[in-house]
Amino acid sequence: MSTVDDPRTIEFDVRTDEMLVNMGPQHPSTHGVLRLVLRTDGEVVSEVTPHLGYLHRCAEKIGENLTPRQFIPYTDRMDYLAGMNMNLGWALAIEKLMKYEPPEKGRHLRVIISEMGRIASHLVGMGAYGLDLGTFSPFLYAFRERERILDLFEEVCGARLTYSYITVGGATADLPPGWLEKCEAFLTQLEPIIVEYHTLLTTNSIFIKRTAAIGVMSAATAIDYGTSGPVLRGSGVDHDLRRDGEEIYTAMYDGYAFEVIVEKNGHYPKDHQYPAVPQEAILGDCWHRFYVRMLEVMQSIDLVRQGIDRYSRASGSYGEPMKLNQKLPKGEAYLETEAPRGQMGFYIVSNGEAIPWRARARSSSFCNLSVASELCRDCLIADVPAIVGSLDIVMGEIDR
Amino acid sequence: MDAIYWPSVFFLIFGALACGFALAVLLSANIVRMAFYLVLSLAATSGLFFLAGQEFVGAMQLLIYVGGTLVLLIFGVMLTSQERFVNMKTLAGDWVIGMIAGGALLSLLTAAAFSVPEWRGPERAAVENLPIEPNATPIGMGLLGARVDQIGAPADERAGMAGYLFPFEIVSVHLLVVLIGAAYLARAKRRSNPLPTG
Amino acid sequence: MASAINKLLDWMLSGLGLSVSADSAVGYIVAALIHITLIINLVAVGALVFIWLERKISGRIQDRLGPTRVGGKFGWLQTLADGLKLITKEDLMPDGADGFLFKIAPYVSFAASIAAFIAIPFAGGPYPWIAQHLNTGVFFVVAVLGLEVFGVILAGYSSASKWSLFGAMREAAQVVSYEVPLGMCAVVPVLIAGSMDMVVIGNQQAGLFTNWFIFHDPATFITFWVYLTCATASVNRAPFDLAEAESELVAGFHTEYSGLRWSFFFMAEYGSMLSVSILASVLFLGAWNGPIPVASMLGLTAANGDVPGYIGNLLGLLNVLFKGVVGVSVMIWIRWTLPRLRIDQVMATCLKYCTPIAAVMFLGAVVWQYNLPGRTFFGLLAAPQETFAVDEGWAALPTTTAEPAKPAMVERGAATSLAPRLAANQGRGN
Repeated sequence: MSTVDDPRTIEFDVRTDEMLVNMGPQHPSTHGVLRLVLRTDGEVVSEVTPHLGYLHRCAEKIGENLTPRQFIPYTDRMDYLAGMNMNLGWALAIEKLMKYEPPEKGRHLRVIISEMGRIASHLVGMGAYGLDLGTFSPFLYAFRERERILDLFEEVCGARLTYSYITVGGATADLPPGWLEKCEAFLTQLEPIIVEYHTLLTTNSIFIKRTAAIGVMSAATAIDYGTSGPVLRGSGVDHDLRRDGEEIYTAMYDGYAFEVIVEKNGHYPKDHQYPAVPQEAILGDCWHRFYVRMLEVMQSIDLVRQGIDRYSRASGSYGEPMKLNQKLPKGEAYLETEAPRGQMGFYIVSNGEAIPWRARARSSSFCNLSVASELCRDCLIADVPAIVGSLDIVMGEIDR
Repeated sequence: MDAIYWPSVFFLIFGALACGFALAVLLSANIVRMAFYLVLSLAATSGLFFLAGQEFVGAMQLLIYVGGTLVLLIFGVMLTSQERFVNMKTLAGDWVIGMIAGGALLSLLTAAAFSVPEWRGPERAAVENLPIEPNATPIGMGLLGARVDQIGAPADERAGMAGYLFPFEIVSVHLLVVLIGAAYLARAKRRSNPLPTG
Repeated sequence: MASAINKLLDWMLSGLGLSVSADSAVGYIVAALIHITLIINLVAVGALVFIWLERKISGRIQDRLGPTRVGGKFGWLQTLADGLKLITKEDLMPDGADGFLFKIAPYVSFAASIAAFIAIPFAGGPYPWIAQHLNTGVFFVVAVLGLEVFGVILAGYSSASKWSLFGAMREAAQVVSYEVPLGMCAVVPVLIAGSMDMVVIGNQQAGLFTNWFIFHDPATFITFWVYLTCATASVNRAPFDLAEAESELVAGFHTEYSGLRWSFFFMAEYGSMLSVSILASVLFLGAWNGPIPVASMLGLTAANGDVPGYIGNLLGLLNVLFKGVVGVSVMIWIRWTLPRLRIDQVMATCLKYCTPIAAVMFLGAVVWQYNLPGRTFFGLLAAPQETFAVDEGWAALPTTTAEPAKPAMVERGAATSLAPRLAANQGRGN
């Protein structure tokens, strides 16, 4: 802690009682139904224990009673802010089991859609983080932009939150005519707006005060707890499944030019048009996690542009969705994809039936949240929302 | 209607409020309620000052006693309470000691009050003829050591007169002691063996 | 005013064969009731307007429209509709709460918020519009503004909720700390005016805007901004709204409140915002004097008779209210733009920045005023002479009395003799 004396080394003559406080499950800044039990001494939090399970919907068990395509709508409801990416993870895992490779056009379609999903998810993450820190307006700005993405998604699949669009074998439908131009126009509009968000939050001095050097997570801690996604990269670990993942997933990004957003030698890639890292920020703090997310939005914009370019040049089919009751080959498969919040893994065991014998999801938010009790030790109460918000969790994915 | 002397009526109202809430402080067992009654009692006292035309002292009363002291009191309550809504019981011995101390102060103040001839009774004419200075200058001068009631006297006669400087200094030293005591109580000290930092 | 009412009553009752003397208590009581009714309505209607304004401004900031329907255009009656809704809501009280304190807390806050307006002038000149003309008005307002915290502390403590308690603790720490720089900032214009009388302070800024105290010298200019910061903090507005920080403390001290009681806290908050804004306008922004003295140019002063005087005062009232509304709007604007500070940062802002800056600015104003007396607008212009005639009663005291040297020596001795005992006490304590 840089701004307060380390409470571990201070003893007060006047002993004040410790207090156990429940933050949540009904609390404005616990992102749904997370319950954090805080052990506090005045304003200083000595221990944070997350309690889960308020949103448990037996998703995995349901997966063992439905065929893979029937299960797609349930994946939407895991990380409900990035339904497209959840669809993709499940679809790819089944495809790995079936040893199926989608056609060229479907591959680019998936890149476009999943990167758009990433933009939408990170926008919510940014807005909600502002809300956690007590500023309301960026939240609505973020939702304004996200609405545009949802409009685009609605055109594609008819749904705004639970898409079930990307499916095993490809997608349920091709992109409608004229969609690419709308998407391109949206990206052109979004780019300068992101710069505005940087002035509102990233470089705002109060924002920096609230996030810089708060909740610092070393690279070793990040790896120990199995964190992933922007949380991991915010600690300076150079790991992104889009580049480092399994062949079947990285093949999707074959030929795409992108750099993993991580600080290397004190620099972020492409930092020319972004605000500089402030002096107070330490690698692995809340500010860096937020910053990585903001840069990933720009990265995704770039990727979508590349995808649009390739998609419009590609020929053939966007893929052939598998039959609803098609029998799965005997065996097992596990595949992790880079969802907006980190590594989303799906594990399937099949005994040759149409319905998987075992379905299991490895949630990124679950691991990311597990580090909260480590980061929140001896912080102030106001830092708890700041730290938990910077992990950008979605309870639907944690409890499944 | 003209027979009623309204300043006296308001004086009685404010006085009754101050005394009533002071009694409530004594008789209440809940410490935060006590603090709240004390606020009201002190606010009624400041009302008396306003009634006397001494707005400065009245505002001072509000700012220092009602504002500052009681916020600190509530802090004290929060620091000392082991459980919520602490109730305090007064022992019989405490009552006796309190009665003696309070009675001594009361008799002193009563004697002092009745030593001023104009205050002896509700003599309206006498009170109305008192010169009222509607500003804080005499008090300020008095705190600096000037005898404001002896302004007209020649300089050599005023040589040994000290105004309110002495009580003022006593009060400041007293407050200093209180501040040092508070800082001592609440001070932080380093542990000799700090826990390993993770 | 009281005697005028008595005369009016006398005239009205003379038909019945009754008479009312000029100093009858009836007139005083009626006058007091009129004053307090006006003030309560100012706070209540002010809250009505400001809540609507807050919704509209925040809506516009956030790319929304805000309320549009209630009351025809612009949703201007939205607050009233909300108020009706709040009245009909169930009045909840937690089981473990201290009932008496829980119920009385919102009214304590509201009463303190209203009490500040007693000494605030709304128009100046020789016949100011002010409920109670106190010659230490600034001091009174600052003192009373600090009382609002009591309602908050009582609410937080009696709610039997840990979040409420956190909010109350924060509020207590914050308000007590910010009273210091706030008072220091308020002292700077007092020093220049030579009076704590808000009417005198306002009248001294008559004329062009160059006479406003904010432009008096560089020190007052900086002091104004420090005052604005401290005022925002002392009325608990973002980025200093820690007592009700919704992302940390659910709703802070009013977590357990609902319905009408909750709305009283709200009204108190907006009342305080208005009173610190009007205080700012009186101390720094020329009070009832507009940037260009239209009223005196048109001869609308009390010197030209009663009616022009009233019209001039009415213009002054509009000026004061306009400046107050601008101040509140600035606070609203800040609230919807900035993130919230943390409690230690709020305290650091007060102790490390606001207090030292205010102290230095106070010294700066002293030095400036000593070296350039009777100058205004950063020393470039001569101050209007007649406004600097301050009657503070000093003339009554012969100048030779201000020499407390001899008696002071005696007391120094007394003070030093206490020092060893003090040291001994401290030693024992360790």
